[in-house]
Amino acid sequence: MILEIAKKEARETFRDGRFRILAAVVIALLAVSLGLGWKRYSDVSRQIEAGRKATRQNWLTQGEKNPHSAAHYGVYAFMPRTPLSFVDDGVDPYTGVSVWLEAHKQNDFKYKPAEDSNTLARFGELTGAAVLQLLIPLLIILLSFTTFAGEREQGTLRQLLSLGIKREDLAAGKALGIAASLGMVLVPAALIGAGVLIFLGDPRVLPDTAARLVLLALFYLFYFAAILGTSLAVSAWSKSTRAALLTLLGFWIVNGLIAPRAFTDVARYLHPTPSAFDFAKMVAHDLENGINGDSSTAQRARELQQRLLKQYQVDRIDKLPVSYRGVSLQEGENHGDEVFDKRYSELWDDFERQNAVRRAGGIIAPLLPMRSLSMALAGTDFAQHRDFAVAAENYRRMFIRMINDDITKNAAGKDLYVRGDDLWQTVPEFQYVAPGVAAVLRANLGSIALLLLWTFAAVCAAWWSARRIEVL
Amino acid sequence: MLQAIELSKTYKGSVALNALNLNIDPGEIFCLLGANGAGKTTTINLFLNFVSPSSGAARINGLNVVDHPLETKKFLAYIPEQVMLYRNLTGVENLEYFTCLSGERYSRPQLLDFLAQAGLPAGAAEKRVNSYSKGMRQKVGIAIAIAKRARALLLDEPTSGLDPKASNEFSELLKKLSGTGAAILMATHDLFRAKESGTRVGIMKHGRMVAALRTEDLGHADLERIYLEHMHD
Repeated sequence: MILEIAKKEARETFRDGRFRILAAVVIALLAVSLGLGWKRYSDVSRQIEAGRKATRQNWLTQGEKNPHSAAHYGVYAFMPRTPLSFVDDGVDPYTGVSVWLEAHKQNDFKYKPAEDSNTLARFGELTGAAVLQLLIPLLIILLSFTTFAGEREQGTLRQLLSLGIKREDLAAGKALGIAASLGMVLVPAALIGAGVLIFLGDPRVLPDTAARLVLLALFYLFYFAAILGTSLAVSAWSKSTRAALLTLLGFWIVNGLIAPRAFTDVARYLHPTPSAFDFAKMVAHDLENGINGDSSTAQRARELQQRLLKQYQVDRIDKLPVSYRGVSLQEGENHGDEVFDKRYSELWDDFERQNAVRRAGGIIAPLLPMRSLSMALAGTDFAQHRDFAVAAENYRRMFIRMINDDITKNAAGKDLYVRGDDLWQTVPEFQYVAPGVAAVLRANLGSIALLLLWTFAAVCAAWWSARRIEVL
Repeated sequence: MLQAIELSKTYKGSVALNALNLNIDPGEIFCLLGANGAGKTTTINLFLNFVSPSSGAARINGLNVVDHPLETKKFLAYIPEQVMLYRNLTGVENLEYFTCLSGERYSRPQLLDFLAQAGLPAGAAEKRVNSYSKGMRQKVGIAIAIAKRARALLLDEPTSGLDPKASNEFSELLKKLSGTGAAILMATHDLFRAKESGTRVGIMKHGRMVAALRTEDLGHADLERIYLEHMHD
């Protein structure tokens, strides 16, 4: 019986010219957004690959020079894009995917409030994620707001219930029918997406990509079920279709436009982050005055000299068996690293706290946990950018230390110290392995719980309201 | 088959139905007469369990409709003033849907036969119902009742707004259904129809049944006179 109801609902929907137009528009938008996303992904991937080769080539062939000049010459590190980033580019547009690694400095990954996105700005971009997170819920609302309110208004509800059918069966059948209509839009899109990933994606990461894709699809289904459940509950409660539509559009606006913006503002208020300018000033101040603010650069240099003279039992710096320059460069790095560790983890922890506040907003808007999960599985969320940033910074420290150690060991007593390709070759190329899908899931348990809670609550609400629906 | 025992309904202090006692046997057509607001529709809604009684009970085939909301509807067919159908579906698709939901399965020829029995013009069955007249919709309603093999029919002013010919056809169908042993309760304003097709009439006023008469004992003029006498305050 539930199937019969579903079949009839779907049949009626397909015969409705308005649905056909709406479905065509949504399919077209989805196709265009995914197409653009794929082009962006393949362009960026190609550029990253070219950049990776070029930076390595430049490093190896930089010719003879002082090793410290080479350290200033530096290399670029590129964050490899996951194939699924074509669905959801997450924070990429605001953070970039490359960083210059050089001596003395942890260069900025551009996590600055000034460049932090707001949702209204994001709304203008056509990505697959935007279509899935905002437009599909609108389609669900338009398909389902009449479900009970409309039948009651038309008078068909009296006739249906006079037949002796259970209200729950009616609700289940209708939900299934709407799901079938939606499937007409989503299943082709999902199959094309999966096909593109399998045939055009990077085969080396295919198992991870497939797992991410399946989970992404699953979470989107839960999200859609939450929207559908909410719509059915509202339709059952509303006195008229008009009231149902207004209530649901209100929900859509809060979910898609107001809550993301509002919680971003609340997050910034609760966990303010410094402006890019202030942050740079704080780092510079710490570098100059010591991490505790009680030692100047000159003072630290004098202390280092004292320590070395004592350690090597000599009375003058130029009598040291090691290169004072090499030791002091590395000493400067060590001090800088402490400062960077402190300042960047403060900043990034604040961003994580802001994200936690936004995630908590999922209590009123299922979009928020959905958006976190979508970005996380696409490999474009803040946490995975941070993971890359940390890996790149560790690599920077490793290769700068190699260079400084070489200077320390070999440059003692030489006015002009020059090295060539043999040293550059001892520096390994930067390799980055992104966190696997299991780690991503572990990091997003909160969002998963919130999304499932929404789905569960919405389905219960729909069932409960359908049971109590008034005929008259 | 249809039984009301001291059935009463009060809406926020105003009495819609006051201690109705009624017993309609298989083969009977009981016509409820009365002004708007006299309690006719309330009676039908109580039998359908769309509203719950303030006191008393409505029974169908001996079962209380409040305690057995789904079972009692198995015996029941309901035809409102306007049979509402799904406009994007054809007549036969509508019939298929409604009969399927009442738990019956029929082949397409059987469904078409029910529509023919209900007097729907040949060819209309395959058309979408947004082109149907009211008379045609009511016939689909009858076809649903026939297909459901309903043993009790609740009709709420089913012929209002029908032209005399359509109204006459409708009455003939009712007689055919009652001939097969259905108990029929019909609310109507049409005294002529009530006398013609009803076996009994009940006159309602302010939620009370003020008179119940056998139609075979009455002439047309008698019924109208008695009705107007009761309506006089």
